[in-house]
Amino acid sequence: MNMLRLNNIHKKFNHLEVLKGISLEVSQGEVVAIIGPSGSGKSTLLRCLNRLEVIDQGTIEIEGEILATEDTEGKCQYVSEQKAREICFKMGMVFQQFNLFPHMTVIDNIIEAPMLVKGIKKDIIIPEAEELLKKVGLFEKKDSYPSRLSGGQKQRVAIARALAMKPDIMLFDEPTSALDPELTGEVLKAMRQLALEHMTMIVVTHEMAFAREVAQRVIFMDNGDIVEEGTPEQIFNNPQQPRTQAFLKSML
Amino acid sequence: MEKIITMMGPMLDGVYVTLQMFFITLVLSLPLGLLLSLARISKYKPISFLVETYIWLMRGTPLMLQLLFVYYALPLVPYIGIKLPDFSAAILAFVLNYAAYFAEIFRGGIQSIERGQYEAGKVLGMTYVQTMRRIILPQVLKRVVPPISNETITLVKDTSLIYVLAMNDLLRTARTIVQREFDMTPFVIAAVFYLAMTLVLTWVFNKLEERYAAYDE
Repeated sequence: MNMLRLNNIHKKFNHLEVLKGISLEVSQGEVVAIIGPSGSGKSTLLRCLNRLEVIDQGTIEIEGEILATEDTEGKCQYVSEQKAREICFKMGMVFQQFNLFPHMTVIDNIIEAPMLVKGIKKDIIIPEAEELLKKVGLFEKKDSYPSRLSGGQKQRVAIARALAMKPDIMLFDEPTSALDPELTGEVLKAMRQLALEHMTMIVVTHEMAFAREVAQRVIFMDNGDIVEEGTPEQIFNNPQQPRTQAFLKSML
Repeated sequence: MEKIITMMGPMLDGVYVTLQMFFITLVLSLPLGLLLSLARISKYKPISFLVETYIWLMRGTPLMLQLLFVYYALPLVPYIGIKLPDFSAAILAFVLNYAAYFAEIFRGGIQSIERGQYEAGKVLGMTYVQTMRRIILPQVLKRVVPPISNETITLVKDTSLIYVLAMNDLLRTARTIVQREFDMTPFVIAAVFYLAMTLVLTWVFNKLEERYAAYDE
């Protein structure tokens, strides 16, 4: 089943075209890694999916529902704010900078959105949140404030917070880039666990080892375009495009 | 000593006027300031421009002029002109003025919150209003405690401006007694009161800061 369908996405920041007609389909349970040099548009692409960025042209379809499409004159039209919000909270997102709520404890960070947005009662969501915290190995931190946590712990809380909304798709925007190298392992482990549970995942990353090992498909982006895509085997062992070859060489 | 006791009657009446001015202004201008700050950052240009102009007027003219305007000139304005009693006129002028300053403090606080906080709220399905109420404003409150505390302490002393409307606040009462009795004691009593009031406020705001220190950023 198709979880996500993008067709001919264009996005400009002022006059700089950062996405030059991207098309992409992701099916259920698939783990897609997007790699590429900085400024290639990979984070922007991810942020367009849940309308953190507004596209100028193209179509976005999430689980068969249209989020944005082109009208007869080719101008991009989004569905109503209410509808867009309902479509978008089927996607959880994990940010490079964690973006935990600093004024709330770990457990409150996790239960806030389910209670506020979905109206779930506190006594129902608390056990679920505690379960998620156990899963990411942070149950004993549930009453701590985020400032008391290490980067790796923060990111695992952020993953639990996103999962508490029971998303069908998880988006990761360079989830380990702000971490000390010795802390990336614990976050990647939590993500690997999610992949094993057949979560549909789109991961923008610089962790080539993770992309190679966990992703079913690797997409190489450069300069606002998808240059090459394929299985990790194809991309890492036998890249066809010179730009892909040069990038992978620079990553070694 | 006896003299001081007979002074205390009218002095306490003055204290009562000063305290009333202080509390009513504070209670009304803080929420109004918050509303103005939200309008100021609104993406609807006419609204934010209107509020910007308002803040410019309020910060750009002396509070005493505003007091005189509300009391003497407002009744002369065609159609909407109303004659307010002196106390209401004073409250109106103070609230309008202080709300403008508070609005700028709140705006600074709101704009100091990282964009990632809004984005986190948005991707979790929260509306703008929910994100503001549950995520942004609670963090803003922590950040604005010091400047709000500053402004509030200034307000205690600014209340003495209402003497221009011949209202008998603490300072005007003190001056009246000084002029009648040729005795400087009322000035000392007034100073002690203002200092005590500032001490209490400093304590209250320190407590608030301590409470917010529960989390770091």
